Amino acid sequence: MKVLKKTLLLAAIGGSLFATAASAEQINLTWQMWSGSDADTKGWQHLAEMVTAKYPDIKVTLTTTGWVDYWTRLPVLAASGQLADIVSMQSLRMPNFYSLLEPLNDRIAADKFDVGAFTPSIIGGMSVDKQLYGLPYDVGPWVIYYNQDALEAAGIPLPKPGWTLAEFTDAAKKLTKDGKYGFGITPQNYSVLASAWGDKYVNDSGELDLTNQSAIGAADRVIGFAAKDKIAPLVPSSADAGTVIQGRFNSGNVAMYIDGPWSIIGMKDKARFKIGLTTLPRENDKDLAAVTAGSGFGIATTSKNKDAAWKAIQVLTSPEALQYLAEQGRALPARTASQSSWYKVAAKDITNGGEALDYSLAHSVPYAITNNWAAVENLFNQYFPPAFGGSADAKQTMETIQSLAQQ
Amino acid sequence: MSESAVAEIGLRPAQPRRLLKPETQTAMLFLLPSFLGFMIFMALPILASLALSFTNWQLLTTPSFVGFQNYIKLFTVDPAFYTILGNTLFFAVEYLAVNIIVSLTLAVWISSLKRGKAIFRVIFFLPTFTPTIAASVVWLLIFTPDGLADSVIRWLGLGLPNFLLSSSWAMQAVVLVTLWANVGYNVVMFNAALDLVPKHYLEAAMIDGAGPWRRFWRIRLPLISPTVFFATVMTAITSLQVFDEIFAMTRGGPGSATATLGFAIYQKGFTNFQMGYASALAWVMFVMIMGLTILQFHMQRKWVHYDD
Repeated sequence: MKVLKKTLLLAAIGGSLFATAASAEQINLTWQMWSGSDADTKGWQHLAEMVTAKYPDIKVTLTTTGWVDYWTRLPVLAASGQLADIVSMQSLRMPNFYSLLEPLNDRIAADKFDVGAFTPSIIGGMSVDKQLYGLPYDVGPWVIYYNQDALEAAGIPLPKPGWTLAEFTDAAKKLTKDGKYGFGITPQNYSVLASAWGDKYVNDSGELDLTNQSAIGAADRVIGFAAKDKIAPLVPSSADAGTVIQGRFNSGNVAMYIDGPWSIIGMKDKARFKIGLTTLPRENDKDLAAVTAGSGFGIATTSKNKDAAWKAIQVLTSPEALQYLAEQGRALPARTASQSSWYKVAAKDITNGGEALDYSLAHSVPYAITNNWAAVENLFNQYFPPAFGGSADAKQTMETIQSLAQQ
Repeated sequence: MSESAVAEIGLRPAQPRRLLKPETQTAMLFLLPSFLGFMIFMALPILASLALSFTNWQLLTTPSFVGFQNYIKLFTVDPAFYTILGNTLFFAVEYLAVNIIVSLTLAVWISSLKRGKAIFRVIFFLPTFTPTIAASVVWLLIFTPDGLADSVIRWLGLGLPNFLLSSSWAMQAVVLVTLWANVGYNVVMFNAALDLVPKHYLEAAMIDGAGPWRRFWRIRLPLISPTVFFATVMTAITSLQVFDEIFAMTRGGPGSATATLGFAIYQKGFTNFQMGYASALAWVMFVMIMGLTILQFHMQRKWVHYDD
């Protein structure tokens, strides 16, 4: 009996030692992410530590790069075989880069991971051919920001979510006076507005189709804001027309403009007027189809620790992680249940912020883009400004972009 | 040297022949790091880009050999190529001429000053310290519609369109900003060369009754011609490679009015992921620069005076 006890004890000690040795085997994961500030980096670092808190044997080392550089570096890192285990990805870039990422459908099915907890449009945005390549952490529908003081001074009732193009144009016309404009537009707004109105610029096969009647009609309306109605200022084909327009909005020179919820935090400190939020205008006789964008995390196909990376990205997009990001005002969570936390923090001083986002998310659709979308957006940036200035019409502009995008 | 000394030298036992003299070996040792750096970071990438120009490489996939297809596409199919080529040459010629004339004029003016030469040299050289991208963003805000430039144009009653919205004027904005950012180099260089012109040549000319223009044209300019030649070659090379100002201010627009080779290489390579095609464009640029430089070296025989 004594011998048996001793044997069992030794076996137990040996087993526990073996188990300890096994659990002590550290898995080091690398994670590449963009960051705009030290506060941003601190937030991401906190998420990396959440992974280790849940899985002590997994350590995540974060590397951050500025937003613009991130997308230049990503293909270079991939080409030189230096991708991190966890690759951060924006939905609009997914068609370009999905080949670098591990398909997740099998893992999702095996672990019964609840994809239904996320806003459907961002799951669509992180997917290619119905295969999910990344778990999203945020989602954002494009919306209209307005200068509430300017609207009230002009006697315009605050726009309700779901307002129509006619109501929008009427308000913008009333707000355009004394050298100020009712609306600020950028070339990149084309696809966002065309989608909202239900116009198709990508065909059912996923190819760019800018020369169909629907796409040209939308371009005519977008160009008309500046060229015909004169309710929007002209913009140059610059590196970042969006920043110029945002600056004009913050200075009170433009009363309404299109942006995503990701801009709320920075904007509140800059604008000296009350800011309100509403949906994109819908076509008068159609429902709104608000496109969304968002970002998430995928597993590099080159990773040697794919199982650990799968565990890690589940933590990075867990309710706790998204709650943390929401409380920091960092991102409108991709998980539907966590979104109200973000409204309470980030959108609390914004008139109708929660309502506008709720309505937009309820009417959201995946953003239709092609696999050369970055090139197409560059061409929008080059060829829409002359049209805004009246030196080309919608048809010519779309034909030129369509032709050059196919080179 | 005495006869005995000659005999002594002749009688010395033969020294083992060295491949390199000791001082040459030392020089080689010191040059080695920069030679290795050149080989790894310049020569190899240049050769790699030549090899890549014969491939279809989308960065994320393995390159596939396509022979001369990229070059054929460039010259026969791409509707934008000749516009880009035209824009590049237009910019290079205009910028080179304006830069040399303006910098030479400023240098002559500074050298004629009795006081404050150093201050003006610093003032004109200051923009070269500023990162071009940062300066270009500020200039973008100046030229943006309804910005400062528009207000000044309206106030002066010039009736000019907004530079960044006009296909005919956008390149002029890029030339202006590039000139502002870089003219200081040549100003300082010409100024230094002018200061080295011997005073007695100019004094003799003055005694002979030569006016300022004649003194400049007949004495100072020929004597600084090697510096002018060097500045011309270097400015021509950098102007053919212009990128930063276009990237920040116009992104090749409006339309394709300011799309140049440097910008197109970036756009094709890093936005469109057509790295093979971008490499072919880079080699077209290389050949252009090489051709222009050879032409300049050939032409220098007629106008550059070296003090042999």
